[in-house]
Amino acid sequence: MNLNSNTYVLGFAVGVCVTVSLALSLTAESLKDIQAAAKEFDRQKNVMIAAGLCTADDARTRPELEQLYEQRVEEFVIDTKTGKEPTKDEIAAGAPAKPADVGNLKTKAERDQFRVVATTKDETGEVEAYVLPISGRGLWSTLYGYLALDADKNHVRGITFYAHKETPGLGGEVDNPKWQAMWKGKCVLDADGKLISITVKKGAVDPENGFEKAHAVDGLAGATITGNGLAKGLRADLNAFKKYLYE
Amino acid sequence: MTATSVPAKKAPIFGKDEKRAILDPLWDNNPIALQVLGICSALAVTTRLDKSLVLGAGVVMVTALANVTISLLRNMIPSKIRIIVQLVVVSSLVILFDQFLKAYMYDLSKSLSVFVGLIITNCMVMGRLEAYAMQNPPWRSLLDGIGNGLGYAWIIAVVAAVRELLGSGNLLGYQVVPDAFYEAGYVNNGLMVLAPGAFILLGVLVWAQRAISGYVEK
Repeated sequence: MNLNSNTYVLGFAVGVCVTVSLALSLTAESLKDIQAAAKEFDRQKNVMIAAGLCTADDARTRPELEQLYEQRVEEFVIDTKTGKEPTKDEIAAGAPAKPADVGNLKTKAERDQFRVVATTKDETGEVEAYVLPISGRGLWSTLYGYLALDADKNHVRGITFYAHKETPGLGGEVDNPKWQAMWKGKCVLDADGKLISITVKKGAVDPENGFEKAHAVDGLAGATITGNGLAKGLRADLNAFKKYLYE
Repeated sequence: MTATSVPAKKAPIFGKDEKRAILDPLWDNNPIALQVLGICSALAVTTRLDKSLVLGAGVVMVTALANVTISLLRNMIPSKIRIIVQLVVVSSLVILFDQFLKAYMYDLSKSLSVFVGLIITNCMVMGRLEAYAMQNPPWRSLLDGIGNGLGYAWIIAVVAAVRELLGSGNLLGYQVVPDAFYEAGYVNNGLMVLAPGAFILLGVLVWAQRAISGYVEK
């Protein structure tokens, strides 16, 4: 047979493509649920990392961490316009009832309005941390993460990012635990209780400057755009949760 | 196109050729140290040992299976589109590997991110398909694939071990350098975490490997 006849080449190419795409879609389909579960667990873990319940390289097993999440973390939908959970009437009118429903919202306006907040409770059932979803525009794509505030709704308890596409070594350093540790103890409110948020400085924070000490963290070298995008996104997100947190 | 490079007499299942196929790439004909193939990913994923082990495993799997597949098809592939067919096979295998990582090792799949996809462009994989699998029977191609994959994997594992040890004082994420060292003024070498650290190490490794194996560029 002539291996280089046009008919054969075409036929062979089509054959290869069909076989391969079938095999790939079969695998993707059969792994879909496991992947979704792994992704959801990663998100839950990040909520707990922000709240300080576990660390990124926690030695505990996945079932143990899932149990910890069940016991200590509560997630619910907040209508940022009212600052409260949607009422029965609003849910009947189409507002999301469960956190999982928020992902199905169609328009950006709706997704901006309804957000999922998590609180973590200590052993006695007192609220220990407020974990707010945050996002910021990085250089390559949007960064998604969590900012946890102490029960006083002022001091930062922790910050994590569970999805971003920043350059490893530059913007990707947002994942660096040392950098994330700098956020701890920073204040989002000033002395009068006004919402200031936290900025990412270009360069290092001046320890003599009281304002910077409270409201800024060191920038990441080579990642000014990531830092600026984060600070901007963070301010917008905190403002969105203002009603819920402080009113 | 000739089907095989050896006469069709009954060959032993693990003869001289088979042994060479798997052992050569480990040392005498190492894909990184001697052929200088697959350098880009070797630089990128070697900041931590676990990352490079997983990537190494991925490369072994991809080179081995791609070699077998192409070797099985070698008498059917039209030479006009052979490179494209090779590429299709390699990329599907890589996507498969990526899907499994996402399902079962989500953390690592996140930190390896784009580098798994970049196995597709690892010149070593295509190089083996073109140079070996297109001319040799499946069994030997499998061995050649495993050998080359391992030859690549051990080098990046060594680079990664040194980088992780000197750069962050850990191995596989566990602290190795005792706290007492840090208290005595020992500092992690930041250069090792950055790309230049990998360049230097890889250069030293290639030098050492060539000095020992006595390889001279002709």
